[in-house]
Amino acid sequence: MSRNQRIGLIVAAVLVAVLAFVIASPGDDDEGDQAAQTTTTPQAETETETSPTETESSPTETEAEAPAPTKAVVTGIEIRAGEVVGGPAEIRVTHGDRVLLTVTSDAPDDIHLHGYDIEKKVAPGQPAKFRFIAELEGEFEIESHVAEDAGRDPLVGTLIVEPR
Amino acid sequence: MFLIGHGISVRSDLPIPEWLFGWAATMVLVVSFVALAVLWPEPRLQKPTWRPLPGGIGRGLASRPVEIICGAIGIFLFGLTIYAGLRGTESTTANFAPIFIYVIFWLGLVPLSVLFGDVFRAFNPWRAIGRAVAWVARTAGRTELPAPLEYPAWLGRWPAAVGIFAFATMELVASNGDKPDSLAVAALAYSAVTFIGMALYGVDRWIDRGEAFSVYFNLFSRLSVVETREGEVGLRRPLSGLPRLESLPGTVALISVMIGSVSFDGFTGKRPWNSISPDIAQFFQDLGLSPQNALEATFTLGLIGGVLFVAGFYWLGVLGARSVGGGFSARRLAHEFAHTLVPIALAYVAAHYFTLLLFQGQGILYLISDPLGKGSDIFGTADTQIDYTLIGANATWYWQVAFVVAGHVAALMLAHDRALALYEDKRQAVRSQYWMLAVMVGFTSLALWLLSSANT
Repeated sequence: MSRNQRIGLIVAAVLVAVLAFVIASPGDDDEGDQAAQTTTTPQAETETETSPTETESSPTETEAEAPAPTKAVVTGIEIRAGEVVGGPAEIRVTHGDRVLLTVTSDAPDDIHLHGYDIEKKVAPGQPAKFRFIAELEGEFEIESHVAEDAGRDPLVGTLIVEPR
Repeated sequence: MFLIGHGISVRSDLPIPEWLFGWAATMVLVVSFVALAVLWPEPRLQKPTWRPLPGGIGRGLASRPVEIICGAIGIFLFGLTIYAGLRGTESTTANFAPIFIYVIFWLGLVPLSVLFGDVFRAFNPWRAIGRAVAWVARTAGRTELPAPLEYPAWLGRWPAAVGIFAFATMELVASNGDKPDSLAVAALAYSAVTFIGMALYGVDRWIDRGEAFSVYFNLFSRLSVVETREGEVGLRRPLSGLPRLESLPGTVALISVMIGSVSFDGFTGKRPWNSISPDIAQFFQDLGLSPQNALEATFTLGLIGGVLFVAGFYWLGVLGARSVGGGFSARRLAHEFAHTLVPIALAYVAAHYFTLLLFQGQGILYLISDPLGKGSDIFGTADTQIDYTLIGANATWYWQVAFVVAGHVAALMLAHDRALALYEDKRQAVRSQYWMLAVMVGFTSLALWLLSSANT
């Protein structure tokens, strides 16, 4: 095989790759819908209401097309007798969403949302309210410092922020 | 669940979406197909070129004063790690020891080795101490030290394979593996083993074959274009360092541990593992283990399973390659192609852990000001926070796919070149490559699957 044939074959392969990528990559619309549907988690009572965007959240770097509007996500975690009711919660939101996460507990505790690095005190009758805009993508642990100090599994939930 | 797994990561990557996973896996196949057609017909990488850096820089970088300074830095960092681990706070992320060991040392030295050659050899605290002790003994005693024992040929790289497996157990299995004091004690115990090894077989021989981290980082540094030869730093052709890897017993085992442990770390986040592991843990509890020990036993079993799976799959490819003829034993073939798995091991590490290095590695900024986590502020950086906005999920996915595919391509090139050098008959060389190709496509697809949202 000559040098030119080799180069030609590589160019063809690159073209196939680009074409396949364009065909395979989904439009943003169904991604957005999917994220909205999955916001409801079985453990935590989650209400999702769509409202027009008014946050100063920065748009993601990739798509130039109009992104789906950001949402307000209201959700909660309940700790009873040192255990999360229904097991550790999985809270799914999309980049830019405004999140209000309320943690209630029947004992005093320190709840730490990693990554966003918000730490709040919670006590019986005094829920901890985490209010933030989901601007960091990834999976972040929500931990109880009381459980950690006692040598128990500190995980009370995971915040999953997906790209828009 | 107890604290198990990557104790230091409080943020993890989102899985690669299925469409990107499918596309990347397809690409791996296309790349492989094209590679078979366009790769060179004569071996090119087996006889490497090497040229010293111009202007005496190469000699200066490898000179005695530089060696002493690097060694001293290595010993200082080692001492600081032990001190912080024993005396500092018991919080994992607020103590210098865990972040330094698991992130800066274990992960950070990988890209440094690939870019700048065998950096760890220069900073290796055990090697520095060993050489210093030998120098002092020679000078004070005014006689040559007794010659070390002959390093047994069968031992090869087995001590390194065992060492890396032990480190992976500490990182992925032991429930106290992220606790600063346990880490410091483990580091001291490992130092004792290393000093005994060096005393028995000589400093450089043990460092080259037995000391796990030296061997581990040296494998990655062979992908670098920078190489030190006879006291001088120089440059070589890309990929020409790996074919010169000495074939020693235990090499396949070591690389299997490297790939298998990362695979297992990824696999623990997958549905098959999460559905089967509680049953195994229950089985161990029924045998009378405490819940925590039962979980550790389960994870140990999983880790061993991951390593055996990788080794078994490689041997399957080797047996296939043997079946094309040429008169080579399976053992010979396994050793001849072992070096081709190093770029794949690198791809696994890079794709799995580069965000951990990128984010958790920033922790070193506040830890150098407050290594014990007790409120000091030596350099005024103690209030630095980790910036999680450095890279988003989309960019992370593309980098992961790029690492995996690049590792696959490098492995293909190395295997192809070795086959041309090994087989006299060109057609046999190509036919043996179908088997090696199958192995590599398998490993690459596994890497992508572990990173993806498929079947989670």
